[in-house]
Amino acid sequence: MRRSVCLTNAMILVTLLLLASTGTAYAYVDPGTGSYVIQLLIAGLAGIAFAIKIYWGRIKGLFSRSSSEGAGSEGDDQ
Amino acid sequence: MTSSGVLSSSFRDPSGFLFQEAGSLLRQVNQSYRENYDHLMTSGLHETLTDKGLLIPHQEASTDLARTEDAYRVLKPQPVPFISYPYEWCFSQLKDAALLTLDVQKKALDFGMTLKDASAYNVQFVRGKPVLIDTLSFDLYREGQLWPAYRQFCQHFLAPLALMSYKDVRLNQLLRTYIDGVPLDLAGALLPFGTRLTFSLLSHIHLHARSQKHFAERTVDTDQRSMSLRSFQALIDNLESAVRKLKWRPQGELWRDYYEESSYTSDALEAKKRLVGQYLDRVRPNIVWDLGANVGLFSRVASDSGALAISFDVDPECVELNYLESLRRDEEHILPLLLDLTNPSPGMGWQHEERMSLMERGPADAVLALALIHHLAISNNLPFGKIADFLAKVGNSLIVEFVPKGDQQVQRLLASREDIFTEYTQQEFEAALGQHFEIVDSSGLPDSNRTLYLMTRRGA
Repeated sequence: MRRSVCLTNAMILVTLLLLASTGTAYAYVDPGTGSYVIQLLIAGLAGIAFAIKIYWGRIKGLFSRSSSEGAGSEGDDQ
Repeated sequence: MTSSGVLSSSFRDPSGFLFQEAGSLLRQVNQSYRENYDHLMTSGLHETLTDKGLLIPHQEASTDLARTEDAYRVLKPQPVPFISYPYEWCFSQLKDAALLTLDVQKKALDFGMTLKDASAYNVQFVRGKPVLIDTLSFDLYREGQLWPAYRQFCQHFLAPLALMSYKDVRLNQLLRTYIDGVPLDLAGALLPFGTRLTFSLLSHIHLHARSQKHFAERTVDTDQRSMSLRSFQALIDNLESAVRKLKWRPQGELWRDYYEESSYTSDALEAKKRLVGQYLDRVRPNIVWDLGANVGLFSRVASDSGALAISFDVDPECVELNYLESLRRDEEHILPLLLDLTNPSPGMGWQHEERMSLMERGPADAVLALALIHHLAISNNLPFGKIADFLAKVGNSLIVEFVPKGDQQVQRLLASREDIFTEYTQQEFEAALGQHFEIVDSSGLPDSNRTLYLMTRRGA
C-alpha cells in the first residue's frame, strides 16, 4: 500500500512539473482537467513503450532476417 | 420526443440532432459540423467503417426535411430494430462494445479523424454485433491534440468492466445510476488492491481518479501541451490491451442446467419447441420478446423462424452464455439482454427522457412467457391481474405457459413458504388474462399438467 501511495505521489509530482501553465479546456465532451493531465502522462509512458516495442521488433527482424538469409545460403551451398 | 419531433435524448452535441419525420428517424447535420462531415464522407473513413459493419450506414435525405435553418445535411440512418442500454448488457457485450469503440478510434486516426466522445450509448447491437450509431462522433484530428473522449471511455467501459471482472458482475448496474459512466473514484474504491499492481488499471482508473481529485479546482491550458500521434496511438493500444485482459466466466449452475435436470423429458421439450414454433407461425411476428429466456432455447425457435428475438433474463450468467452462444453460431436474429421483470429498466436521464423505459420500447409483436408466470405469481406475490396488465402493455400476441400448483417447479417455490396462493388456479389465470387477451388456442404439454396458450390482445 505504502509503495503504491509513493508511486502515485511521484507520478502526480512529475505531472505537475510537466504542466506549469494554467488556462481553460474546451470540448463538447468535457475531457476534465485531471483526465487531461493523466492522459498526457500515460500516453507519454505508453508511447515510449510503444516505440521500444516497434524498434525492438525491427531489430529482432533485422537479426532473424540476416540469420535466415545465412541459413538460406547454407542451404543453397548444399 | 418534443413537439418538433426532435428526440428528447438528442441535445448534447451541437453538431446535429435526431428527429422523427413520418415514422422515420432522421439526423440533421448542422453547418458547424460541415468540415468534419465532408471529411468523414470523402476521406474513405465512412466507407471503411460501414463496409466492416463498425458504423451504422445512412443515406442522405432532402434538406427540405431539416428542422432548423442551420442544417447542412439531413441523414436517414439504417434503422436499429431494438434499442438496448449498457446496463442491460452482459459482460462480453459491454467488452465487445468497448473494443468496437477503440477499433473505430484507431481507424479514424488512419484517416485523420478522431472520436470526440466514447459513450456506451453510442453503441447498439445490430444483427448480433455491436455497431457505432452516432455518425457525428468524428472530428478532424489536429496534430498534438489529446483524446477528448478518454475520461468518458474509462467511465463508460473500462471501470464497469474492471468492476465486473475483479469484483462482481452485478456491478454493471452502477451504469443505471450513473448515466455518464461509473465515477472513477468509486470504481477505485471498490476494486481490489491487486488492481493497483497492473499498469493499465493503476493508471487508467486509480491514478486517473487521483488526478481528477487533485485537479478538481485547477485549470490547465490544453493548448500549451500536446501529445504526439504515436503517443495517441499508444494510449488507444494500451486501453485496448487493458480491455482485452479483463475476463469473466459464469460460475453458477442454477439456471443453465435447468433444461437438463428439470420439468421436461427431452421428447417433451422437443414437443414444446414444436408447439411454440407452430404458434409463432400463426402470428408471424417481426419482433419477439422472450421474457425469462434462460439461455435462449425458445428465443432460438423464434429467431430460427426469422423473427428478431429479444432474449431477456434476470441472471447475468444466462445472458452471458446466451450471448456467447449467439456469437459461436454467428446468429443475427437474437439479442440477449439482462432484465429484472419485477423492476424493469426505467426512463432515465434529463426529465426521464434520455433513455427509454422497457415499456416505451414496446409493444413487441409477440411475447413468450414460458415457465415464467409461477415465478412472478409465487416468488414475487404478483396477482394474475397485475401480470395480465403488464403482458398486455408489452405484447400484441402472447404465447404463455401455465404451470399448475401440483407441478414440481411450483412445489419447489412453495417448499420454504406458506401457501397463501389460493387464487393460483388455471381458471383464475384464464379469467385474468381474458380481461386483456382473447385465447386463440391452447394445448396441454406432454408429460406434464402444464398448458400452453396462444393469445392475442384485444384491439391489437
